[in-house]
Amino acid sequence: MAAVLACEGLVRRFGDLAAVDDVSFTIAAGETYGLLGPNGAGKTTTISMVAGLLDPDVGVARVLGDPIGPAAVDVKRHIGLVPQELAIYPDLTGRENLAFFGRLQGMRKPDLEARVDEVLEVIGLVDRAGDLAKEYSGGMKRRLNIGIGLLHQPSLLVLDEPTVGVDPQSRNAILESVEALSGEGMAVLYTTHYMEEAERLCDRIAIIDHGRLQAEGTRDELLRLTGEVDRIDLVGSGDLGAAADALRGLSGVERVAHDGHTVTLTVHDAPTLVAPVVSTAVAARMSLADVEVSRPDLESVFLHLTGRALRD
Amino acid sequence: MTAVLAIAGTGLRRFLRDRSNYFFVFVFPLLLVVLIGLQFGGEGGESRAIVVGGSDLADQVATGLEDGGATVSRGGSVEDAQETIARGRADAAVVVTEADDAAFGAGEPVELDVVAGSSTQALAARQVVSVELGRVGNDQRGVLSLEAAGIPPDEALAAFDTVAAVGPTVARSTVGDDSLDEAFAGLGQFDLGAAQQVSLFVFLASLAGAASLIQSRQLGVTRRELAGPVTTTQVVAGEALGRFVVAFTQGAYIVAGTAVLFGVDWGDPVATGAVLVAFCAVSASVAMVFGSLLDSVNVASGVGVGVGLVVAALGGSMLPLELFPDNLLTVSAVTPHHWAYEAYAEITRRGGGVGDVLPQLGVLALMTAILLPLGAWLLRRSLARAL
Ligand SMILES: Nc1ncnc2c1ncn2[C@@H]1O[C@H](COP(=O)(O)OP(=O)(O)O)[C@@H](O)[C@H]1O
Ligand SMILES: [Mg+2]
Repeated sequence: MAAVLACEGLVRRFGDLAAVDDVSFTIAAGETYGLLGPNGAGKTTTISMVAGLLDPDVGVARVLGDPIGPAAVDVKRHIGLVPQELAIYPDLTGRENLAFFGRLQGMRKPDLEARVDEVLEVIGLVDRAGDLAKEYSGGMKRRLNIGIGLLHQPSLLVLDEPTVGVDPQSRNAILESVEALSGEGMAVLYTTHYMEEAERLCDRIAIIDHGRLQAEGTRDELLRLTGEVDRIDLVGSGDLGAAADALRGLSGVERVAHDGHTVTLTVHDAPTLVAPVVSTAVAARMSLADVEVSRPDLESVFLHLTGRALRD
Repeated sequence: MTAVLAIAGTGLRRFLRDRSNYFFVFVFPLLLVVLIGLQFGGEGGESRAIVVGGSDLADQVATGLEDGGATVSRGGSVEDAQETIARGRADAAVVVTEADDAAFGAGEPVELDVVAGSSTQALAARQVVSVELGRVGNDQRGVLSLEAAGIPPDEALAAFDTVAAVGPTVARSTVGDDSLDEAFAGLGQFDLGAAQQVSLFVFLASLAGAASLIQSRQLGVTRRELAGPVTTTQVVAGEALGRFVVAFTQGAYIVAGTAVLFGVDWGDPVATGAVLVAFCAVSASVAMVFGSLLDSVNVASGVGVGVGLVVAALGGSMLPLELFPDNLLTVSAVTPHHWAYEAYAEITRRGGGVGDVLPQLGVLALMTAILLPLGAWLLRRSLARAL
């Protein structure tokens, strides 16, 4: 399938600083692509070029095949931008904010009104639609911010750290709606510095640092880069040797080792294997005191690639 | 166009939602209406003149001035009169020497010295003086012509008075200096001052529009607008249009208020309206340039007031352009106030219509045509700056 977004060798400098340095990636329809990196990595600058707000110094970004940039007014119709900072008028109501940006997208009554109602439903603000945005909670403002990006049903939705400063409940609501959107065939570009969000939402993830893509792939592909694997530790008593032998026969289990009170397994996919591993061990008469599951995460990938922690 | 209207409409909606703006749109202009009315309206502003000299001609000049509505005091020396004017206790003095009187009696051309301050009040007084001197001159010309036709002086005067009472009065200066009188001719109540003040106020008030653009930029709304199918020119035009409507409302309100309440004469309403529209368009465009160039609302309001006052002074909103030396006048042509001043002068003093102010309207339109794209270009550049 043709890429909804294709970035080819994007470079953007601010003075001597290369904020974005040779960034290339593509996103297909229905795919959610994550840019994961710490503050200052170049995520927002990349997004500004993708959304046609900044011209790249070098390289080109194409949306549905057409180059995007400040002058490419018509191409911008296909993009919905959800900026990192709230971009709403606090002295307008939620409904007025939506209607205003809808009109800028060329939408007209009565379609506009119908679509505003739909979006209010999606972002859960139907009850508060008539209140001024400045009276909203932080999470509600964030949801309105996202709603504006969805209004015109863009082919590419670009979300720049949409959950920053949001309470856990709102965050969950936001993540769920993003999941639903990519399910509808929208291509989503999602930036974050939270690895859990990237892991949960994104089909593919690029790790960005100092303006450069350090690695790109599915979550599992990235995890493999570290050379680490999932681990299950069974702590307990009984015949640990017999339990280890029994566990070796399970599919998905790679290696099994044991000492006096712990059986350690390396496995492919720890979460799905915990249940069979435990029942097999119990069937082999091991009495369990504790089960520990550990898996490498994107945090370890970032550490592996850059020698630094993701959050500093 | 939809985008421009959407942005302008939203700007206005937000403007009206802030109640404190009502003061600036409806109350403050009303204060200005009262101020202008008291200064330049039909009733107020009686001129105070001094007539120096005791001859027949001096008597005639004094009577003429009194008939023309001025308060007249007599006598003293030229120096006394100058001092009185300098202290602001009188607006103008007419100096009539014995030689002037003799020449006048003989029907020769006479040049009277007029001493006037530089306040707008003094200019008004000067105007009254020159009109009255013209009348006196005409009367004398009439009497002399009758005498020349062989009618005895007493009968000639009596005959002349009967005719003058029904005949047309000719208000044209034949005495005193020069271009100034000509320039201000027809400006009976000095309505020019009101025009100067409207330009000054409307321009200042429009510059506040810079703050609204800066605020939209700070809120990130401008960025978001531009991420949609909207050009920087449309954003700037939309923001400018919103501010234009506010400025024009204020200006029209002041014009209508001073005309209705105080009888200030604004001339042809269509022509005056056209000048106001063109001037407000330039003002709003200047605001967009500042709004794209500056990143802080506070800096913008400070710069706005400063620039607003300097440009107004340079453009003839404080001291009339007629009093400018030539080189300053040339510089002043870069200000929109200059062209609005000229246009209003044409309309209120010489009864001009839209056709007569087309050059000024053209210059103002050209200024808008340059400033708006400049604002758009600056706005585009501002996107690469961190706010
Ligand atoms: N307008 C700008 N002017 C100068 N430097 C900038 C500007 N925008 C971003 N930068 C710099 O570019 C780098 C990348 O910034 P940004 O793209 O905002 O990163 P992120 O969104 O990943 O936090 C940072 O070092 C930042 O300071
Ligand atoms: Mg950022």
